[in-house]
Amino acid sequence: MNSASSHILYDSLKKIKIEGDFNGSIITKCNDDPNSIIFSDNMKISYSEGIFISKGLKVGFETTYKKKSAFCKVLDFHWNENLSRIEYSVLVPDDIMQLYSEGQFSDAFPFTLNLLHTAGLFLDDYELGINHLEFFKGEILKNPISLIMNGVLVADRVVINHRGDPVFYDCLIIGRDENDDLNISYEPLTNVDDKVVKYIIILGIEELKI
Amino acid sequence: MLLFENQKGVFLNFLKTGINPFEKFVSTGEIKEDLGLAKSRIDLLESIVSIVENNENFILPIIGKVGIGKTHLYWALKNRLYYFNTIHLSLEKVYKKFFYNTYSEFIETIGLEPLRNIINQLCNDWGALERKYGFFHVDNIEKVKNNAFEKLVNKFREGEKIALIDVITGITTHQLDPYKKIEAERWLLGELMNIKELSRLNLIYDLRKSKNAFIMLKLLIENSKLGTIFFFDDFEKIISIPKVIEEDEDEGEIFDRSWLYGKKPLPNESATKKVLEKILKLQRIEVLRIIIVLRADNSLEQVKRKISRLEEPLKLEVLEPLYLENFIEEDIFEFYLKNMEKYLQNFKYSTFYEDYPNSYFPLNKKILSSIFHKTKGNPREITKHLIKIFNEIVFTHENLEILLKKYEKSSQD
Repeated sequence: MNSASSHILYDSLKKIKIEGDFNGSIITKCNDDPNSIIFSDNMKISYSEGIFISKGLKVGFETTYKKKSAFCKVLDFHWNENLSRIEYSVLVPDDIMQLYSEGQFSDAFPFTLNLLHTAGLFLDDYELGINHLEFFKGEILKNPISLIMNGVLVADRVVINHRGDPVFYDCLIIGRDENDDLNISYEPLTNVDDKVVKYIIILGIEELKI
Repeated sequence: MLLFENQKGVFLNFLKTGINPFEKFVSTGEIKEDLGLAKSRIDLLESIVSIVENNENFILPIIGKVGIGKTHLYWALKNRLYYFNTIHLSLEKVYKKFFYNTYSEFIETIGLEPLRNIINQLCNDWGALERKYGFFHVDNIEKVKNNAFEKLVNKFREGEKIALIDVITGITTHQLDPYKKIEAERWLLGELMNIKELSRLNLIYDLRKSKNAFIMLKLLIENSKLGTIFFFDDFEKIISIPKVIEEDEDEGEIFDRSWLYGKKPLPNESATKKVLEKILKLQRIEVLRIIIVLRADNSLEQVKRKISRLEEPLKLEVLEPLYLENFIEEDIFEFYLKNMEKYLQNFKYSTFYEDYPNSYFPLNKKILSSIFHKTKGNPREITKHLIKIFNEIVFTHENLEILLKKYEKSSQD
């Protein structure tokens, strides 16, 4: 299922910036390396004062002591002159969110692994890469967030198949098409080769409850 | 293709297998009837449909004599109002454990999947689908329960709070706790549960507890996307037990029962009062339509009198009664043809009526007409007569023409 461009709130590449207060399910992709993602239920865009997000959840990787580790932080964000730090912000349409919600398993679903803290499952990095795919082969992991090439993939659960590739279930995918236009889509199942995955982060359930 | 006369023979041989086309003469709430209403009753059906569609809370009395097709009307109404939950309730069945039995009938009629949908919707309304940071569901059962309690507590009376907590726990456990989902579903379906099972679910009572069943009924009916109609069949049963006593009182009976039983009402009287009070409690359920079926105007007056004596005032509007009349002559022909057609379709032997759609074989119009006059158009009596004739056709070796002449002759007498 695809959605039209009316749900793009900000796109640095296509010079789109829609002024207003927005509520709903908003995904913001940052321009850091590797790209962090901010999940929020609100966003305010003003030509004069910039972009605000109140209590957004930022997910990404940080380097500490020559080691990469995944993080998630709840913060207020404000960009004004430094708008180049974000690539885009999209508001996921309600009909797609409804499909996503219907496909979700309960947290307590048997045989599903819920990590208590946020952790990196996979990171494609020449020096400080992470790869725990082999370890979790055959397991169902809840709340994965992934960057696949330049597309953001948020899924309800991920299973590592017998080849060691991740299979995402109940996915929201935000990516650019051949014209670099942003698209939001829902897929019940996405098979991905680990060679194209930039990172996979598993969100910690306890951190979501805070 | 067979000649008509040969087909008659084949048809008669088929009948001789021994299954009477008119075997069933009493309609019940359990066995589905898909034989439509007679043409003369379509206007009545449409009047009921119009009342149901244009009003929300009411009691609609329908009056018709014994055997006139009141339960058949229920099936016609259920088929016509497919976008409503139409629940057939027989007072004989729901008399004891009124709310529990009414709930069971309700669940049996709507089915498991709509039940799941309604409670899923309820849980969502109570905040089960709240998304943290716009995306992530974090199931917090206690929070959802508290939300539900705050939303609902003002809709129920003080004495119903414990039952309300039980109901909220049952629903949220079913929706949000996958480890207890199966037991919670058993509870929702009204299964009897022992203390151990209940305590595992954190519940005090199962739905045999009247208050629990009432609250579940209210929540389900008010949150169902379809409207709900309770069709109380043979409603005068509620007054039939104490009727003798009342007549005695009216006629100034010399024997005063209080000499023997004291001033307290008889057990039957108080049971009737209790059931009536429970039926009146149903008026607290918004958007519930109630249809009561009675045999005579007199019964309706008696029911109204009994309601007026109760402490709780009647808030529902009792509408003007509608009357179910006997068949008109045309109806018997239509009824006969429809029945025969359906009978043959059931046995995949409908070729006869396909080739000769207006043939009344093995009977004829004259016999059907005489049955109509003998029975004064009462559908049950008509069916009984038809059963008798067909039994003779099926089980005797008498020639059909002689048999028919006998019936024609008896009709002239």
